[in-house]
Amino acid sequence: MTTALLVLTLASTLAVGAWLGAWFDRLAPLLYGGRAAGPLAPLRAGAAALLRPRIETEAPDRMNARLAPGWYLALAAAGLSVVPFAPGAALIETPVGIVVWGSCEALTIVAVFLHGWSPNAPFPLIGAYRYAAIGLPVMLPSMFVLIAAALPAESLSFTAIVESQREVWNIVRQPLGLPLFLIVGLTLTLRGPMDFADAADIAGGTSAEDSGPGRALWQGARLAMLVSFSAVAATTFLGGPLGPALPGPVWLWIKTAAIMALTVAVGHGVARTTPSRMLTILWVVLLPLSFVHLLVSGVLAL
Amino acid sequence: MIDALVILLVLFAAWTGWRVFRVDSMIRATFSLMLSFISVGAIGVLLSAPYIGVATVFMMAVEMMVMGIFMVMFMMNPAGLNPMMMVHQHKLSIVAGVLAALGLGAAVLTTTLPTDPVPGETDVVSDLGHELLGPSMLIFETAGVTLLATMIGAVVLSSRRGRYGQADEGSRPPGLDPGGPPAGRQPEGEGGHHHHHHHHGGH
Repeated sequence: MTTALLVLTLASTLAVGAWLGAWFDRLAPLLYGGRAAGPLAPLRAGAAALLRPRIETEAPDRMNARLAPGWYLALAAAGLSVVPFAPGAALIETPVGIVVWGSCEALTIVAVFLHGWSPNAPFPLIGAYRYAAIGLPVMLPSMFVLIAAALPAESLSFTAIVESQREVWNIVRQPLGLPLFLIVGLTLTLRGPMDFADAADIAGGTSAEDSGPGRALWQGARLAMLVSFSAVAATTFLGGPLGPALPGPVWLWIKTAAIMALTVAVGHGVARTTPSRMLTILWVVLLPLSFVHLLVSGVLAL
Repeated sequence: MIDALVILLVLFAAWTGWRVFRVDSMIRATFSLMLSFISVGAIGVLLSAPYIGVATVFMMAVEMMVMGIFMVMFMMNPAGLNPMMMVHQHKLSIVAGVLAALGLGAAVLTTTLPTDPVPGETDVVSDLGHELLGPSMLIFETAGVTLLATMIGAVVLSSRRGRYGQADEGSRPPGLDPGGPPAGRQPEGEGGHHHHHHHHGGH
């Protein structure tokens, strides 16, 4: 019974969250004086994409071309399944929650790579290799940030991480964590400064050859991953379902929506640099910074 | 139930492992191998080793992505979509494969494996942590430092930038035919002005 309810909650969180994320994307132009669109615009765009015919490239890897959006969506769902909607109520209650989420992150790079590799076309392939080169070093700050959050909880489970934040949220005692984790989120959702897969400078990258239902599903999976990442960030740094008066899931939804809005705003507001320069920034600045973050968090947690 | 799942995962791991040698591209081989390892990780989770199982999935996803890129780089198969033969040195590999299978099989059959199930309330993750940073610390740290040194060494050796200048300074690619003009892009810097003399129809 509880399991059925949690499955339903997870599915509806992903669906409603994906719509909200798509609307945030259409509100974002207001940040730089552009025109915003209404809440129905993403639904119209999705329906239009579904009705368009699919295009076939020459000699593609059909299996991976069809499956890649499905993998991406499944990874978003698997990542959300270890997040507790109320204290102690995750769909999959595991002692190694942050490792499960880490696996979803790493497999996301594989799914995006296969999405770009499978059409057998130049722009998607460039996007795939660029993304793999940037995505792999992003995994390292992600691991350090998550391990740092596990230190005060003395556990790898998200439920214990939520419990450890009853007194004070992790965003207060680990201030570097959320900014570093936001970079991971931008990478996982192919957004703004970290969008080296599907960017406009390579004509849409891994989705350059997408059309029809496949394109709709890929964009939907991107938004679902935004929801999952934001829920994980809200759980790790903002106390997840903890909060006064309102029930746990409502607090988690509010915090998730706030992180989603922040991620969308940063994605629209920060420029993207070249892959080589970003690679230097990742290895030379962000990796040592996440070491420092882990060290400080470890000393504070003692 | 768990037995049936383990058997299914073993079969899937063996089948995807076999596919590694039957597919015709480096990328397909790489990710077949990844699926094989992920099944092994899932077996670990089912056998009450959640950390080792899930960490296997995480590590293999990252490692296979790196391996795929490196294989495409070194195998001169730019997209990884060109059909190619995945096996070579047939006789040697058959002998090595049979010997390895016999050796590992003998090792498994002659070892007395524990049969008692893990009690439900055991905190296996915390036990593993205490083991790794307690009695097994020396092995664990030795392996960790060796891997780190290997990674740094590989990065240093493959880096284009170095303290004595660019690694490929003055290097010439080999000719397409023996003694012929260098293939592909001409080295920059030295002899740049007679660039067009070297130009040939090999593109």
